Amino acid sequence: MQPILKIDLNTGNSSEYVIPHEWEREFLGGASLAARILYPHLTGALDPFSPESPLLFLNGPLGGTAGPTTGRFVVCGKGPATNLWAESNIGGFWGPELRKCGYDGIWISGRSDVPVFLWIDDGRLEIKNAERLWGQDVYATQDLVREQVGRKTAHVAVIGQAGERGVLYAGICCDHGRMAGRTGLGAVMGSKNLKAIAVHGRKKIPIAHSGQYAALRSEANRKLKQDNEAKVLHELGTAGAANYSEYMGSMPSKYYHQGHFENVDEVSGSKMAETLLVGQSTCHACVIACGRVVSLGDGARRKGPEYETIVGFGPNLLIDNLLEITQLGELCDRYGMDTISAANTIGLAFHLYDLGILTNEHTGGLTLNWGDSEAVRQLIHMIANREGIGELLARGSRQFGRAFHAEEEAVQVNGLEVAYHDPRGVSGMALSYATSPRGACHNQSDYFFVDWGHTVEELGITFYERHVQSEKAANVAVHQNWRTHFNAAVICIFANVSAQEQVELINAVCDLNWTVQDLMKSGERGWNLKRAINNRMGLTSENDRLPKALLEPYREGGAAGFVPDLAGMLAAYYHARGWDESTGKPSKKKLIELGLEDIARDLWLSP
Amino acid sequence: MTASFPGEEWLKDLESKLNSDERYAEIAKNWEGDLFFIIEAHGNLKEPLTFYLDLWHGKCRKTDFNPSPADYPNPVFVLTATYDNITAILTGKLNPMTAMMTSKLKVRGNLGYMMRNVPTVLDFVRVAQEVTGDIL
Repeated sequence: MQPILKIDLNTGNSSEYVIPHEWEREFLGGASLAARILYPHLTGALDPFSPESPLLFLNGPLGGTAGPTTGRFVVCGKGPATNLWAESNIGGFWGPELRKCGYDGIWISGRSDVPVFLWIDDGRLEIKNAERLWGQDVYATQDLVREQVGRKTAHVAVIGQAGERGVLYAGICCDHGRMAGRTGLGAVMGSKNLKAIAVHGRKKIPIAHSGQYAALRSEANRKLKQDNEAKVLHELGTAGAANYSEYMGSMPSKYYHQGHFENVDEVSGSKMAETLLVGQSTCHACVIACGRVVSLGDGARRKGPEYETIVGFGPNLLIDNLLEITQLGELCDRYGMDTISAANTIGLAFHLYDLGILTNEHTGGLTLNWGDSEAVRQLIHMIANREGIGELLARGSRQFGRAFHAEEEAVQVNGLEVAYHDPRGVSGMALSYATSPRGACHNQSDYFFVDWGHTVEELGITFYERHVQSEKAANVAVHQNWRTHFNAAVICIFANVSAQEQVELINAVCDLNWTVQDLMKSGERGWNLKRAINNRMGLTSENDRLPKALLEPYREGGAAGFVPDLAGMLAAYYHARGWDESTGKPSKKKLIELGLEDIARDLWLSP
Repeated sequence: MTASFPGEEWLKDLESKLNSDERYAEIAKNWEGDLFFIIEAHGNLKEPLTFYLDLWHGKCRKTDFNPSPADYPNPVFVLTATYDNITAILTGKLNPMTAMMTSKLKVRGNLGYMMRNVPTVLDFVRVAQEVTGDIL
């Protein structure tokens, strides 16, 4: 891979960090490689908002090569809401453009005295004043930066007001509305007084065997375009499966307390396609194009919501109007904050209001009636501006619940809000959420797809009935390894590209001689390394938990009466992983088996 | 009532069962769409095979065994699978959702309608499994 551009915002100095070749071979790129690089810096004592807190933007080796859905990159560091390993995956065109500057990553440390943005033009770095940009939303900032650097084709990664003001679920946005939403790294970027990073490049992206690769990627893209799921995603977006998710009882409503949403037809991807949709948007060289472009009748073409935003601001809050949901999602996007966490935390406020724990006195007179989109709109403004109850909501659901002595009501794991795939409908998600390295995440293992029937035969990821439990624990672990590979590569998880095809693509680009076993071992290595980072920062087996709401049965819907037996699932999972049940650490034997001897020494010899 | 698959008798039995099955009638009461199946030669099937079903509001209005695609130029859905995969679905060895999600059963048509009506599709498969006896 190409070097990483290291920038110290304390001094304005920059240097090139050359990635050790053996780390590329072992971790490939993206989030796994970032974990390896950042390992020494991510300690329990590190304040995510301190100047020394690292923020690493990193591509994978296939980024920008027009391979199947390979235009994504990751942002990694320490999460301000979780105090654990943080990674967030984002599409668009920014990552490939950075590679064309001759860099595969940007490593930020320090803090600027005044707001700044970075301008990297074909490899040449300028640190520019951003005081004029401070306070602008993510869309305006992208336009203003392009105008200031005089390059209309520059791609700009930005934070909005939420990132500036330290909202703990602020994201980083690029290419209009693409968002690295989860884990609050936009707030880390804001803490460094860094408003934006603009990139423009003309260099050739390195491919070891370009002729061979061209044939492989063409064939992989051709097959992907014909894939059923790809076609559904193209036509209906990620909300295409909303009806089925609701039918299975895996689409939570009313802040995870109602198992059936009668008006699901009103908020589905099908409904959007029939009403608001005017086009599709895509990431770099993607043949799927799952992004929605919608019109709300005012002549403007807008980003349409994806599944998580629709469920978060829809059924989760009992709102069934797709236009209103779109507007709420756009408001969050403009402020630069994660819609999953924002909608979840707002849902907790409504829930506590229902319970009488939160009152009009706390809300400044705002009544929180389920389905009231105007109240939600006001709360979003208050969060982004950290006004009134918004000050507490900006800290995320765990801290919000804690402030009202009701932390157990918050539907989160380790400080990250649960996404909208309910483990009562698809039991594999119980393990996905409980053991994810970044809190309750659905992208470290989107096992709900497997529970619906999406098997991966070549890897032995087989089908277990959706309410089977500990029997599928080993299957979940393999799926996590598979997805860890995706986050290393960095490939979109919507790409149904076989492991064998991916190995051939990687070998052609990186001049490696990987097998499918090497690919999966690299995924397992990445998963265990992130776990070890978290263990070192204080995570134990006690953290592998689910919130109360997910352990109470629904009375209605497709998952009525079922709750996951998390303890049983975890015991089987630990066994499959080779992890120590008492401490929650990967065993020394497992770490050594994965070639992580130095990590094993740190983890098992430190007091 | 079961019949050997594939065959005209099997398709007629399926039609009859679809028109008498109360559960299917209820789940599929809003379904409006005809299906054109293309079974690709594979394993024991040496020549491609087609069949057509016109499904409407919980009933089957018409079936046609081994028609030409030109006979039904605009079906709502065209479903294509190899013989081995379609028989695996009919014998319960392959989950129909797995077949769709892994493209072992390729779907062409109004995907928005399909995604809204997955329970109907799954119940159609149940009925088809119940009328399937031997696999040739």
